[in-house]
Amino acid sequence: MARVPITKPSTFAQYATLLKKDLRREFRTREMLTSMGIYALLVIIVYGAALALTVRDLDIVRMSGGLLWALIVFTSLLGLGRSFAHEKEQGCLEGVLLVPLDRSVVFLAKATSSFLFMLAVEVVAVPLFFFFFMTTAAPAPTLGLIVVPLFVGTLGMAGIGTMLSTITMNTRARDVMLAVLFIPIVFPLLYACVTATTAAIVGADPWTDFFVMPLVLAGGYDIVMLLVCWVLYDFVVSA
Amino acid sequence: MADSKKVKLPEAGQWPDRMLVPALALGALLTTTGFLLAFFWVAPVNGAKLSEPVMVGDVTVTHVQLLSQKIFYFHMPVAIVSFVALAFAAYYGLRFLTTRQQRFDTCGRVAMEITLLFVVFTMATGDLWTRFEWGVWWTWDPRLTTYLILMLIVIAYFVLRNAVDDPQRRATYASVLSILAFVDVPICFMITRVIPSSVHPVVAREGGMSPEMAITVTVVMVGMMLVAFGLYRLRFRQARLAERVEALKEQIEER
Repeated sequence: MARVPITKPSTFAQYATLLKKDLRREFRTREMLTSMGIYALLVIIVYGAALALTVRDLDIVRMSGGLLWALIVFTSLLGLGRSFAHEKEQGCLEGVLLVPLDRSVVFLAKATSSFLFMLAVEVVAVPLFFFFFMTTAAPAPTLGLIVVPLFVGTLGMAGIGTMLSTITMNTRARDVMLAVLFIPIVFPLLYACVTATTAAIVGADPWTDFFVMPLVLAGGYDIVMLLVCWVLYDFVVSA
Repeated sequence: MADSKKVKLPEAGQWPDRMLVPALALGALLTTTGFLLAFFWVAPVNGAKLSEPVMVGDVTVTHVQLLSQKIFYFHMPVAIVSFVALAFAAYYGLRFLTTRQQRFDTCGRVAMEITLLFVVFTMATGDLWTRFEWGVWWTWDPRLTTYLILMLIVIAYFVLRNAVDDPQRRATYASVLSILAFVDVPICFMITRVIPSSVHPVVAREGGMSPEMAITVTVVMVGMMLVAFGLYRLRFRQARLAERVEALKEQIEER
C-alpha cells in the first residue's frame, strides 16, 4: 500500500485553497460577476432616469463621487448577500468548518474573494459610469487618483461585508438584515471615500484636507474593522 | 464548559438592587437641581445680558441663542451617558463571548436598551438646539452624522435580535454587533477634533468652561448616570424574573 503523507498544510496553503475554491466556482458559474455587473448597469440606468431633466445644468463633476459610491455600495450589497448563500445551499460551509483550521483563515479567504469580485465589477462599472455621465464634463487632471479611495473603500467593505453576511446568513429576511447592518457600519468609510473620490475628480484645493486626510481616516477604519472582524469571526461562524 | 471555572453571574436581588431606589431618587434630585442651576444660577455665556444682543466669538447672538444654550447642560451629559451605556453593552458582549453564559447576553441587551433610550434623548435635545441655534432641523455635520449612524446601529441591534431564533446564536451575533457598534464611539467622540465642525465645538480647545458651567454639567452628568444605573437595574431585574418564570413554566410542563 502506498504511504499517504500526513503533513499539516501551512496556514497560507489553507488560505490559498479556500480562495481558489471560490474563484474556481465563480469562473465555472459566473453567477456573482454577471449578477453584480448587470445590477451595476441597472443602477446607472436608474441614475439616467433620475438625472434626466437636470443633467444639463447640474454640476455632474461635483456629484459624480457620491453617485459612484452609491453604485458601489448597492452592487456590493448584492454580491455580499450572495457570497454565503451558495455556501449554505450545498452544505459547503459545514464541510469547510469540519477541517481543523483557524477560522480566521476562512474569513480572510472569503473577504479576499469578495474583494476581488467587487474590484472586477468596479473595473467595468466605473468606466461605464464615466461613459454615460462624464463624457462632456471636464474633471481635474488628478482623476486617475480615484483608484486609491476605490481600493481602500472596497477593501473595508469586503471585510465588514464578509463578517455581516456570515451573521445574516442564519437570520430571517436575510437580505434586508444585511442592508440594515451593512450600511450604518460602513458609513464612516463611505463618507471618507466619497470625500476623497470627489476631491480627486474635482481637484480640491487644500489637497491634504480633502484627499489625504480622508484616506488616512478610511485606512485607519479599515485596519480597526478588519482586525475586529478577524478576531471575532471564529465566534460568528461557529455559532 | 463553565464548570471548570466558576463565573460570578449578575442576578436580580444582588447588592446593586439595594442601591436602586436611592440611586433613582438621588438621580432625580440631581437632574432637577441641575435643571434649576442651569436656568437660575449659571450666567449666560461670557457674562452676556439677555436684554441686548452680544458678541460671542465673532457672531452676534440674541436671547434666543443665549437661552437655547441651556440645552447644553442636558445634551452633553446625556450623550456621555449613552456612550458609557454602550461601553457596558460591549463589555457584556465580550463577557458573553468568553464565558458563553446566557446571563451576560441579558445584561448586554438591557444595557443596549438603556443606550437606545439615551441616544434618543441626545437626538431630541440636540435637534431642538440645532433648530434654535442654527435655524435648521438637521444638518450633515460630522458629529451629527456619526451619531445618527450610532443610533442606526443600535436600532439594527434590536432588529437583528428579532431575526434570529436560536438563543445561543442570537446572543453571539448580538454580542459581536455590540462590539462593532462600540467602534463608532471613539469616532463620534474624536470627529470634531479631526474635522472642524461649525456645530459642535471642542469645548476644551475653546477655553474650557467657567467653573459654574462645569459644576452644573457635572451635577447633571452624575444625576443622569444614576438614573441610567437605576433604570438598568430595574429593567435587568424585570428581565431576569421573566426568564426565571419561563424556566419554571418549562419545568412544570415537563412533569
